[in-house]
Formats: sequence, C-alpha cells, structure tokens
Amino acid sequence: MSPEIEAYRDTARTWVESQIAEFGRDARKGLSEADDLALGRRWQAAKQAAGYSAISWPKDHGGQGLTLLHRLAFEQEEIKHGFPNDYFGVSLGMPVPIVLRHQPGDWTRARAEAALRGDEIWCQLFSEPSGGSDLAGLRTSAKLDEASGDWIVNGQKLWTTWAQYSDYGVIVVRTDPSAQKHKGLTYFWVDMKAPGVTVRPVRLAEGRSEVNEVFFDDVRIPDSQRLGAVGGGFGVAMETLTIERYQATDPAGFGPPLQLFIDETKATQIKGKPAIEDGRVRERIARTYAMQSAMAAIYQRTLLSLAAGLQPGPEGAVHKLVSVRARQKLSEYAMDLQGVNGLRYDEELSRKESWAKSWMTAPTGRIAGGADEMLLNTIAEKILGLPQDHRPDKGVPFNQIPR
Amino acid sequence: MTILYDEQQQAIADEAGRILAARTSGERLKQLLETTGAHDEAFWETCKEQGWTGIGIPEEDGGIGLGLIELGLVAEAIGAVAAGAPFLGTGFGAAQAILAHGDAETRAAWLPKLASGEAIGAIAFAEGADMIPAAPALRLTNGRLSGVKPAVAGGASADVAIVLASGEHGPVLALVALKQDGVSAQAFETFDNSRCTADLTFDGADAVTLGAADAAQAALDILSLQAVVTAHEQVGGASKMMNTARDYALTRQAFGQVIGGFQSVKHRIAEDYVLVELARANALQAAASQGTEAFARNAAAARLSATEAYDTVSRDSTQVHGGIGVTWESDLHLHQRRARSLAIEQGPTPFWEDILVDLLAGEPA
Ligand SMILES: Cc1cc2nc3c(=O)[nH]c(=O)nc-3n(C[C@H](O)[C@H](O)[C@H](O)COP(=O)(O)OP(=O)(O)OC[C@H]3O[C@@H](n4cnc5c(N)ncnc54)[C@H](O)[C@@H]3O)c2cc1C
Repeated sequence: MSPEIEAYRDTARTWVESQIAEFGRDARKGLSEADDLALGRRWQAAKQAAGYSAISWPKDHGGQGLTLLHRLAFEQEEIKHGFPNDYFGVSLGMPVPIVLRHQPGDWTRARAEAALRGDEIWCQLFSEPSGGSDLAGLRTSAKLDEASGDWIVNGQKLWTTWAQYSDYGVIVVRTDPSAQKHKGLTYFWVDMKAPGVTVRPVRLAEGRSEVNEVFFDDVRIPDSQRLGAVGGGFGVAMETLTIERYQATDPAGFGPPLQLFIDETKATQIKGKPAIEDGRVRERIARTYAMQSAMAAIYQRTLLSLAAGLQPGPEGAVHKLVSVRARQKLSEYAMDLQGVNGLRYDEELSRKESWAKSWMTAPTGRIAGGADEMLLNTIAEKILGLPQDHRPDKGVPFNQIPR
Repeated sequence: MTILYDEQQQAIADEAGRILAARTSGERLKQLLETTGAHDEAFWETCKEQGWTGIGIPEEDGGIGLGLIELGLVAEAIGAVAAGAPFLGTGFGAAQAILAHGDAETRAAWLPKLASGEAIGAIAFAEGADMIPAAPALRLTNGRLSGVKPAVAGGASADVAIVLASGEHGPVLALVALKQDGVSAQAFETFDNSRCTADLTFDGADAVTLGAADAAQAALDILSLQAVVTAHEQVGGASKMMNTARDYALTRQAFGQVIGGFQSVKHRIAEDYVLVELARANALQAAASQGTEAFARNAAAARLSATEAYDTVSRDSTQVHGGIGVTWESDLHLHQRRARSLAIEQGPTPFWEDILVDLLAGEPA
C-alpha cells in the first residue's frame, strides 16, 4: 500500500484506539438496545466530527472526498473493536448513497448529514415473503392515482434490517403486473412515518430482533420520490447492491479470530495432552490458516488493483461464501474441544469472542445478503459462464406465472 | 441379534411418535429456552405414564424389562420433537450403573424409583474437556464427596447422580443422592436450556461407592450405553430436519419453480438422507449388539455417525429454508441447538474417535 494510505491508517488507528473506552465492545456490555442505539448515534457523531464518516463520499455529498482505500483502511481499524455501528451499516451503505446519486439537492444533502451524525436511519425494503433470492418475484404493488399523481402502495416487505428505528427507506414495488417480472418494478424512497406504514419486529433464532416485517396499507408516495424510470426499478435495485461491493472484510467470517482457537487449544487437553498437540487439531488450524490467508491475499489484491486504478478481479465474490461457512464449522469444533463446558452460553459475549455465539449466529450470515447457493450461482454463471438453471418464468408476464 | 424391528417394536415406535407429536408444543419449548433449569413437565409426565422410564430395568427391580432397541425407538421419537428434558437418557445411564455395580441395598433403594420416574438420575463423569478423567478432581474420602462436577446434563433437577471421583486408591464410581445438605446444583445458561445443565458442587456429601473394579472402564461402559440411546435421539432429530427441508423444498417457490427443483438444493437434501440412513443403521446395529463383544465399537461408531448427521442436517435444513430458517418463530433452531447439546453431552466427536480407534487398534481406552 502507498505510504499515504499507511500514514492515514496510522492516524486513524490512534484516533480509533482513543475511542475504545467510551464506545468499544466493553462499553456496550449490559446496555439495553435503546441505550446501545443511543451510544451508536453518539459514535456516529464522534466519527463525523473527527472526519471519519463517509470517507470516500464526494465532498458535496457531505463526505471527506478521499478514496475507497482510505475508507477501507479506516474500517479495518474500526472493525476490531466492536463499536456500535451495526445500526448504520445498511443506512449509510446503500440507501443514503443511492438517493444522493439519483436526487442530489438540498433536501437530500440535509438527510445525508443527519444520517451521518446518526440522527436519522434509512432502511432497505427489497425482500418480501415471495421475493428473497428471487427479488424480482416481489408482489408489493404501487398503483398510480391519476388525480394526484401519487403512487398508492399496498403489500408487505420482510427482513427489513432496522426498520423499527428507521426514518426513511428505499423500496422496490411492482407498478406493472402485466410486464415480465424484472420489467414491472419501480424504485422509490419512502417516509417510514407516513400513514399506513406498520413495522413489526421479527425475532431471530439467536434471540435478537434486528429484522422486521413492514406492512404498507394504502401508503401514498409522491412521484417526486421515484428513483429511475417507471419500470426501471430492478436496475436501480442492482445498482444499490453494488455500491457496497468493496467492504472491509474479515477472513474469520465475522467470527472469532483463529488465534483464539489456537490459544484455547493450548489450554485444553485431549487424552491428557494439550489439544494443540493433537493431529486433528493441528490440521484444523493449518487448513483454516491457509484459507484465511488466501482470503486476506485476495482482499489485498483487490485493494492494490483499486489503488492502481484497475478493476479488481471477480474472485472477491468468494469472501462471504467461504469465510462464513468455515466459521460455522470451526465454531462447532471449538465447542467440541471445550467438552461439557462447551454447553455454556453467555448472551453478553459477541460472536467474535464466543464460539457458541458465533455458531448460533452463523446460519444468518449464510443467508443474509445473498444465500450461499446464490453466490455459487453468481460464480458459476457470471464468472465461469456456465448456463443458468431452467427458469420457467423467463419472458412470461408476471401475472401469468403459474404458482 | 437382529437388525430388523419386530411388530411389537414397531408398535412402540409408532405409539411414541404419535403421543409425543400430540403433546409437544414448539411454543412451550421456546419458552423453556428463556429460563434456566426448567424442563417440560408434560413431556416428563408422558415418559412416566408410558412406562418409558422403566425400559432397560428388569421387572424384579421395578422396571418393564425390554432393552436398548426399544429405548432407542422411544429416543428416536423424542429426538424428532426435540423434547424438553434429558431425564430419560440420563436416568437410564444412572440405572445401568446401579444394575452393573450396585449392591442389593442400592438397587432396592434406587432402581424402583428410577424405573417409575419418581427419581431423576444423572451421570457426572466429565470434568471440562475430559470425559473420563484419569484422576478426577472430585474426591471421595471416607464416604464423603468434595469438589465440583461441571455442566451435568439434567443436574439441575436430578435426585441422584453417578459420579467418577478420586478415592483413596484411584478412581471410583460412586452414587450420591443430590437432595441432601452438602450438595448444591447451580443451573446456568446454555444454548439449550431445557437440558437442565448444572454445575454440581459437593461439600462433604454422603456417597456410596459402587463396586466397579475398574472405574474408568465402568464409566466408559455406561457412557457407551447412554451414547446408543443418544444416537437414536440424534437420528430422530436429523431425520425430522431432513424431512422438514424436503417438505419446504417442495412448496417454496423461487424463479418460477419449487426450490427443490434446483439441483444444489435437491442434492443437499439427498446427501442429508444418506447421513441419516448411515446413522440410523449404526444406531440400531449398536443397540442390537448389546452384550456382545462388538458393542463398544458399535456404540462409538453409532455416536460418530449420529453426531455428524444431526449437526449437518440441522445446518442444511436451516440453509434450505432461507430467511425463514433463522427466525425464532420457525422451530428449526430448537433442533440446531439440540444437535449441538447432544453432540457435546456424553462426549464430543474427538472423544469417540479416540475411543473407537483405541478399540480397533487393540489398545486400552
Ligand atoms: C438477518 C437478515 C437481514 C436481512 N436484511 C435485509 C434487508 O435489510 N433488506 C432486504 O431487502 N432484505 C434483507 N434480508 C433478506 C435476504 O436478502 C433474504 O433472506 C435472502 O435473499 C434469501 O431469501 P429468502 O429468505 O426468501 O430465501 P429463499 O430465496 O426462499 O431461499 C430458500 C433456499 O433456496 C435456495 N435457492 C433459491 N433460489 C435458488 C436457485 N436459483 N438455485 C439454488 N438455490 C436456490 C436458497 O439459496 C435457499 O437455500 C435479510 C435477511 C436476513 C436473514
């Protein structure tokens, strides 16, 4: 990496480390979600004040006007300490940038500033009961009210992360059911406090409720809130999803670092000897290391390509697929090695500190943001050029697809 | 030895499945996840009422006879519903220890109560990662126990435990009544709270030494018996998860067809079927070989296949369900959790791998 980026990283690290006492993992222990969210808003404000939010956004969008490499350098430092940024990941990652891009102006600029300070939160209302992997299968409808020119929205979204705290959202709806499924969709931003919007948290298996179902009952959306053309919603949705293509990654799949496994195997025994001397354990460690170092190398190559102004290769697509799956199995094994003590579960520990928590939350990671199977399809079809599965709904008007 | 079920055995399996399906509620099981040390009373009442607590205990000791095959069938039905208490398996282990090593007085004092379910039994051999410690930290001196047994399944509610302790001349198996001064059971939070897992602390508690000449071997024999029951329970859970995935793949639509039509989904479930059937075959083979020379290695093999099957199938079934699979509302996580708690109680995979390889290599375990 260039000396400039490394110097930036050093300064960022010093600042980040000075914030750990107030905002880090330990400061969050025992907080209610409301208090944690409040702390998170303060963390956003602190980053904003110190010049560490929206690092790679243009200055006229309220950003720092630096490169993606600066941003990734900061995020790699930030990610280590468990700061309360969960609530803002979606908001600042996709909805706010896409609205800034499509509808620049004073109003959007004010929203972006509020979002960067953590005062406002945006959510992403794409998935539905009938449209997850197959996003274009969604059914929430918007009908044009000729008299007012507004769109009237009815239907249900599902899995909307942090909708319960959101002020605004971006939404894809079906405006033409007689068109083919990708072609009848339109994209808007929506006021989450508008009449007819009802948010209901959905509890996840691990106990927390960060996702929601969101019901739309005759919700009125002015046409001025449309992003892109009528019927062009699928394209804007895809554009939204690629904004976050290059994120700070974690070869450990957002689970505990391999070093924790190594340390624990020194402290536990198998047949009277330290577990670290056991062949099975050594193989696990060696193979996990090899996988993780490859992940880190792929990531490093992506960064170098970006720094050189080149388009990174497609191999970054393997990241989530490989690292989360591996984390799930390593977590199970680490629990096994603790013997009966592996049964203990401490709700307070994060998934980076506790193997049991990591194992409990891993299934979510294999589904959210694209299920493993869809990632494999992307590799097979987009990178390798292999044919798609047979798709009987191809070219058929949406309202004539049999179900 | 036969590895085909006869009519009476099939009837036990059918009846157990029917009655448990009718009496188990996912809602109640999820409530239990949120408290420590509580179990599903309706389930435990069913075990008693159906006489399942007496399986494997001779009639003259208050039981109903029968053996591992029958108990395995019931355990399989229990596994399918991820039932809310571990006592049937832990009580069976305790009863087998008493049958094998207890004197007449001990048998008379405990077996009828365990057989009726009036008393809940537990096994407490492990200390941390060591399933059968060669020199247990728990000490038995002049008939009194001192020390701790960590993370004992069923320990929060048990009335009696079989412990592996260090006596004056090496390890001994001992029986200790838990409802006495000098014993405290500290239930703690696990990811599967209805297992009633607790740390047992002994402070000069009265205990009876069981007459096992080689305590470590005796402990392994008991664990092996229990492991076969658990393997059936794991097969029941794995099979249920495999079928749940199949049913979902037949109804969930994406891209204009049911997701079961995608080969990656179809093959995942088919691979799971293979794991379940291998595990089922090993579990029954082990149960049918009770009392033969092959039993120990069959039990270890059954345990290994069953753990692999249940862990894998519960992972896969969740994956096939997409977002729905990771909700609290869906009951899949009850099995995700149970797969892990059963994988760890009575010894995780590395432990049974070592046992099996030692047996195959002819070395002492
Ligand atoms: C914690 C969490 C947070 C989320 N946050 C958001 C959010 O903020 N906003 C939002 O819009 N969405 C969000 N989602 C939704 C997420 O994008 C979907 O859950 C995901 O796309 C899978 O869709 P699904 O749940 O409908 O599963 P399905 O699409 O029904 O998938 C079921 C199974 O079928 C498989 N499958 C489907 N199609 C194929 C195929 N063609 N080939 C092979 N296999 C296939 C899948 O891989 C999966 O195993 C979130 C989900 C979770 C779990």
